[in-house]
Amino acid sequence: MRLFLAALVLIAGTMPAAAQWLDRPWPAVPRTPDGKPNLTASAPRAPDGKPDLTGVWNAGQIVARPEPADLQPWILDLARKHQQEYHRSRPYYQCRPSGPEAERYGGWKRILQTPAAIAILNDDLTYRVIHMDGRRLEAEPAPSWTGYSVGRWEGDTLVVESNGYNEKVWTSRYGVSHSDALRITERYRRTDFGHLQVEVTYADPGAYARPWGFKATMALTADTEMLEAVCERSSEHWSSLSDAAGAAVTVPPDVLARYVGVYKGIYGGRERTYEVSLSGNQLVATIVGPPIEGGLGAAGLEDGTPRPLVPISQTVFEGLGLGYQFEVGEKGPATALIVIHISGPYRYARVK
Amino acid sequence: MKLFLTALALVAVTTPAAAQWLDRPWAGIPRTVDGKPNLTAPAPRGPDGKPDLTGIWNGPTPDPLLDPANAQPWVNDLVRQRDQDYHRGRPSFQCRPSGLESDEFGGWKRILQTPAALVILDDDLTYRVLHMDGRELEADPAPSWQGYSVGRWEGDTLVVESNGFNDKTWLTPEGLAHTEALRATERYHRTDFGHLQIEVTFTDPGAYARPWGFTVEKTLAADTEMLESVCERSTEHWSVRSDTAVAVQPEVLARYVGAYVGAYGVRPRTIEVSLSGGQLIARVIGFAFVDGGEIRPLVPQTQTLFEGLGLGYQFIVDDKGNATELVEIHISGSYRYQRKK
Repeated sequence: MRLFLAALVLIAGTMPAAAQWLDRPWPAVPRTPDGKPNLTASAPRAPDGKPDLTGVWNAGQIVARPEPADLQPWILDLARKHQQEYHRSRPYYQCRPSGPEAERYGGWKRILQTPAAIAILNDDLTYRVIHMDGRRLEAEPAPSWTGYSVGRWEGDTLVVESNGYNEKVWTSRYGVSHSDALRITERYRRTDFGHLQVEVTYADPGAYARPWGFKATMALTADTEMLEAVCERSSEHWSSLSDAAGAAVTVPPDVLARYVGVYKGIYGGRERTYEVSLSGNQLVATIVGPPIEGGLGAAGLEDGTPRPLVPISQTVFEGLGLGYQFEVGEKGPATALIVIHISGPYRYARVK
Repeated sequence: MKLFLTALALVAVTTPAAAQWLDRPWAGIPRTVDGKPNLTAPAPRGPDGKPDLTGIWNGPTPDPLLDPANAQPWVNDLVRQRDQDYHRGRPSFQCRPSGLESDEFGGWKRILQTPAALVILDDDLTYRVLHMDGRELEADPAPSWQGYSVGRWEGDTLVVESNGFNDKTWLTPEGLAHTEALRATERYHRTDFGHLQIEVTFTDPGAYARPWGFTVEKTLAADTEMLESVCERSTEHWSVRSDTAVAVQPEVLARYVGAYVGAYGVRPRTIEVSLSGGQLIARVIGFAFVDGGEIRPLVPQTQTLFEGLGLGYQFIVDDKGNATELVEIHISGSYRYQRKK
């Protein structure tokens, strides 16, 4: 049951508790007549006249993937391998720094700006430093998780160039790796008091045919605090089928038969269909359907390998490291399938 | 051989490479006539007139004195238990944040100071935020690894009060525990351009009768950069590797039998190595709180290298094959013990 605990712990850690003390009016924030932060007031400026990006920011989910056709074969092969392993070597799932991974631009950040350096603090307790003292990008910095970053102002836009990433970090949660030629350009623009736009471009001639990236808008989370969300259970604890088999219970065939069907939902911003069938007395889940146009998670990267489901209880199953929970009514067939992944539960409604 | 790789990897990442690009003169710092950073120049001040602690700092690890009489019995019990367990539950050995553990005050830090907040960035990629916007300490913040900290200036000294720590962090590498009621007071004083004094006091009546603490001195690491030193192999990987055992002749094993004396951390430790039915056994004596010693069967990995319940034991031999020294390999480094008999 470790997997399920892991998923639950992770969810608990990433949902800020609605505690009284988090309700904290910030000083020096422009306010509307009703006392709320005026997020459309003009962006503040530092004593040196540059825009000041200091604040606690939150961005929604980032969906960013290069086109598989733009990946060099070795990167595509690695991405396939990562997918077959259910992305368990994703740094974030291993409780390691996520570095430049696109999806980790989402969520909570605290930015501190000084004339010589800017620090971006993540809620997973990692951070990065952007040098603003006029230095150039290093030709060969020691490879690291968070890279080597230098920033400069182009008008009111902060332009950050980075390199020096180790080979363990991914650029996308979909298992996309990089070569040591990876270079990232970020353009930050605080358009008004409450909004920070970021445009990220990943260029790596050793891995991608052309640069790719994404744009996102971070919103100022005024009048509150950022909470820690520290990873404590790495994917090394995802148990194998044999572990699960030791804890297996027996579910009568007529109960298993109620779970057979087709379930549809969204994983990583894309529609995904699960087909659950019975093979002998063994429940089997398979991801089915035509590949979706473009992007990883499709176009040959979707894993059609059937996953045998080992019962943990009458409704909860484990399949190659993922949890599968069937939602049932009083009687009759299951109404939904919930796939429990370390990144959270994903709900798939039954369609037939 | 996972264990040994772990120890080696850890040592490798904590020793900064002497790379060319780390030789980086900082702009705008006072220098002596020979061009070196003038570390005894006056401390810089921010636009608000307060001392500016910004910079990269390095320094020795504090070694707070342990006073078991000041600790509640449950704390001493836990320390004993953690010692017996070779401290494998220590947060930093598990790749988790260390909170205010005394060792965290040693080594490399980058401080960035702004009027409203000061951040202390650690080379293990964790950080602390000290709120400087005049807020009071929270009465009941959510317990966290790094706690909740507010700072204020008392003259030229930055006084930081912290609470809200979870009870998973330790206060020293020996495993001194604390409750969630822990309160820490830190006093930071940049005495000149190159030196920063930190005085730390822990107050936790549920664990200690009296407040206690330590001081630490940090030196500006001018003209260079701080490198990452990220934990990647937690103690969960410590294992008995009987599956990789090799055979070592009994007469070879006999040359390792003896008593080896050294220190683990600051405490003296003796390891008595004996033979029991073809099996080499290490008896580790000298845990501060453990009487009689702990027995570890040694499983040979090579002719001179053994694994004993998750630790490595390497015998250093002379040209006749007789051991002269025993090296105990732990995730925190290796410890040498001289043969005494």
